[in-house]
Amino acid sequence: MAKNIKKALKDFWYGKPHTAEEGGRRLGELYEDKTGLLKHREWRGFKDTMYYMYNIWGYNYVHMVTDILKYSKNPIDFFKGTWRYRWMGQTYLPVIHWFERGLQGMRGEALAASAWHYRAMVSASIHQICNFFNADTRLHGGKETEAYKHSFYANETTCGTLFYPWKDAGYQYIPMEMIPYFVTCHVNSHTVLNYIDAVQSIGLPGDPCPMCQAESGLFVLDDVPDSAPFIITCNEACDASVSTHTLQDWFADKPLFALPLPMQFDDPLVKKYCMNEIEECWKFIEEQTGVPFDWECMKKYLERQNKLQRDEWEKWEVASKTDYYPINGVAQALFRIYSTQYGIQGTFWEEASEKVKKIMYKCVEKKINPFPQTRHRVIAWSCAPLYYSNWCTWAYNCWGLNVIINMDSLMFDMEIRTDSYEHMLEDVAQYHMWAPMRRMAVGGMHHIFELWEYMEKFNCDMVAMYDQLQCKGMQGVHGLFEDEFRKRNIKAFWMPHALPDCRTVSRAEIRRQINDYMTTVMHEEPLDPSLLDFDDSMTW
Amino acid sequence: MCKIGKFFLKLLGILFAANAALFVVFFFDLDGKLLFNVVEPFLKKHYDNMERKDVLQEAYDMDKFPKYKY
Repeated sequence: MAKNIKKALKDFWYGKPHTAEEGGRRLGELYEDKTGLLKHREWRGFKDTMYYMYNIWGYNYVHMVTDILKYSKNPIDFFKGTWRYRWMGQTYLPVIHWFERGLQGMRGEALAASAWHYRAMVSASIHQICNFFNADTRLHGGKETEAYKHSFYANETTCGTLFYPWKDAGYQYIPMEMIPYFVTCHVNSHTVLNYIDAVQSIGLPGDPCPMCQAESGLFVLDDVPDSAPFIITCNEACDASVSTHTLQDWFADKPLFALPLPMQFDDPLVKKYCMNEIEECWKFIEEQTGVPFDWECMKKYLERQNKLQRDEWEKWEVASKTDYYPINGVAQALFRIYSTQYGIQGTFWEEASEKVKKIMYKCVEKKINPFPQTRHRVIAWSCAPLYYSNWCTWAYNCWGLNVIINMDSLMFDMEIRTDSYEHMLEDVAQYHMWAPMRRMAVGGMHHIFELWEYMEKFNCDMVAMYDQLQCKGMQGVHGLFEDEFRKRNIKAFWMPHALPDCRTVSRAEIRRQINDYMTTVMHEEPLDPSLLDFDDSMTW
Repeated sequence: MCKIGKFFLKLLGILFAANAALFVVFFFDLDGKLLFNVVEPFLKKHYDNMERKDVLQEAYDMDKFPKYKY
């Protein structure tokens, strides 16, 4: 009896232990069947539960409102936009549940630091949403407001870095699909299915990349705000995207500049060609806005971006050489791909990075291991399932697989020189060409196999290999990876998925594949057996 | 007890009750349940029934704008 009371008090204060042998917290039993909703939230111990409730759950609900007040010219527009656009209404509401999925089971420093990455992403998203709605003619009775005249659209894989020169003149670039497509898939995977189905309903076959399908589907359903007088597009990483932009050109019906991402970017002649095209793009913006390229402004924002990159290198140093890095796999990947792609558009990335560094150095000084149940240090490679980016959280909780680093984080692994215009242009072209899904996914053999170098650098002993079933580029090198894994005797498991479309490969199927690998190849026992098999087919 | 003391006691009581209510919402994921079971179906119905422009009826004016060659 006394022993039971002592254990109950200990569980109340510290939370239940992670592993089954120690009594276990059995996180899988918290889920309601199918919906992924929680019967009740996890009791993480008194301190962490209170931290989660006040500093994450409550804090972020409050800041979702204050961010709207901060970035919106008229908060009423935000509500009008929510009512008008499906991607907005269905996505914005479950944001806090998105935190929950990514942070489940986290404790102490891992919980606090990872949540700051999420907080920055939410703030950046509200910034973008407000930019959309401040300028949208549909929400302003067809009127082209000053915000509209000072905005321009760019494809989401055209990096925000390119558009710094017009920032101080009050011009805001808006990545056309980053919120309506990319962010929605992570927060609420139901939304994007409407857009995929819409584009297939007009005759597009079902097998091209579903990202391209969803992006054009947004236009087919007339669900893209009219927030900018002109557009800059690109081919993203594949031929399917070229079709997307033909449809976008048709449906948007605005002056459009196509700025391609070259495939063979190691060729110096290709790079020179790309530099010329970037300069042409800048001339197009000058012509459309009537405002000249501002070198000082470009330099100012590039220096802030370089500082953020150096911060990241500092964090990677700790991640690669110690066990004290407090960011979990999903928070690392999403923060990095989002911040490098959107660029310095506010202070949200820098603020979060500072806070995380502070927590990280506390871990280093006090020798706190934020992921004490790590059995394997994992590097995740290729493009991740957007509807299950939080698989890393599950994998740590269930198997002790700690995803230290991933391909998306490593794509823009560079500073941009600001000592002269020529150097800047050369580096910006490199940065532009190293776009998401281009550099290490469909950017040529050498870059695909940079995996081995990074695996060693980050001291990883296992590879989580994403297998995007509808990416023709990466499907073509599947066998090469298999051969290399065998030749190098590398422990690796494949994760099939269809980027945003959770109907093609379910989350349960992804988990089953990992479970099979861990039991039949690794002969390991799960840390938390309740997480092996559960039905979350209807979850956000 | 003086009036100020009573006021502070009342305030403390209200704060405690508000926190307890907030904790119930938080711990039992009542916000998630409300959004999933009530708000999202309502919004879905609204978006499904919304009148939308048939973009396929628009002409693809390929020559409407210049080529932007520099």
